[in-house]
Amino acid sequence: MERQGKAQQGELRDEWIVGGHRFSSRLLMGTGKFENAETMVGAVLASGAQIVTVALRRIGRSPREDDMLGPLGELKGITLMPNTSGARNASEAIRAARLGRELCGSPFVKVEIHPNPHHLMPDPIETFEAARVLAADRFVVMPYMPADPVLAKRLEDVGCASLMPLGSAIGSGNGLATAGMLRLILRDARIPVIVDAGLRSPSEAAAALEMGCDAVLVNSAVAASGDPVAMAAAFAQAVEAGRNAYRAGLMPRGGGAAVATSPLTSFLSVEDS
Amino acid sequence: MELTVNGETYEAKEAESVAALLEEMGIGGRAVVVVLNDEVVPASSRSARGLREGDRVDLFRLVGGG
Repeated sequence: MERQGKAQQGELRDEWIVGGHRFSSRLLMGTGKFENAETMVGAVLASGAQIVTVALRRIGRSPREDDMLGPLGELKGITLMPNTSGARNASEAIRAARLGRELCGSPFVKVEIHPNPHHLMPDPIETFEAARVLAADRFVVMPYMPADPVLAKRLEDVGCASLMPLGSAIGSGNGLATAGMLRLILRDARIPVIVDAGLRSPSEAAAALEMGCDAVLVNSAVAASGDPVAMAAAFAQAVEAGRNAYRAGLMPRGGGAAVATSPLTSFLSVEDS
Repeated sequence: MELTVNGETYEAKEAESVAALLEEMGIGGRAVVVVLNDEVVPASSRSARGLREGDRVDLFRLVGGG
């Protein structure tokens, strides 16, 4: 009974669960490409994001003092999700994931393996292998993946916590080019589906949520916009609107013909009784 | 003592431990992960972990990323 009550409470708050962790925000944010730490932190705060991606790099010979991520660590309620960017294959990604876990103290990992710098498309075979090993090692595995429903099922089967199919190429701003494939993934997925990469405008984020995606992850769309803090807030509103629309249920599509919303009789004629 | 730090030769002046090496490099207070000869050294054992001639040390930190 109490358990049911809690579930209903969760339903009212519209939380989603990934790897046993509960979140209310359905907007995930990346931290790359920002001009400075202040703008990045401002955008993260304005987005309301509770999951924030970071990357891992070797320290240079003369380490620069500007620590982009120092202020992030002080924010409450934010889960850092280190990615494996820079990894060209599964073994490099597994190594990066373990270093990320040590640094962040977070079991979350965004598995990201894209060997071709021209299109940055995720390598499905290496991604699958890394995800399999890391899930067995009790990571909360969030794979950046091609929008492929067959691969999605395979990743779910090896214990991934979510699926993160691309909307279009990283940083391209080409939006939901994979919409048809995303629908196929959504149809069968039993774990959260997060559209990662390619979004440019808040309306695209809203469309992803309306379609039934559980969340979206954006970075360039905010960081490379005219005003990153304001754009982060706009994405937060769009994600909320899209989610609310999905929960409300969109009206059925018409068969192409118009269906009037007002009576079509001449306004001078007598109202039918 | 000659070490290889992040793939480059590094002449450590007095660093006897991993913690001392980080201090010597001026990154003692920063969030870094230390890999010594391909093995992660947890932050809690950096002071106790001694260094030897020829050790390979790799240092990583978090940066912005999507």
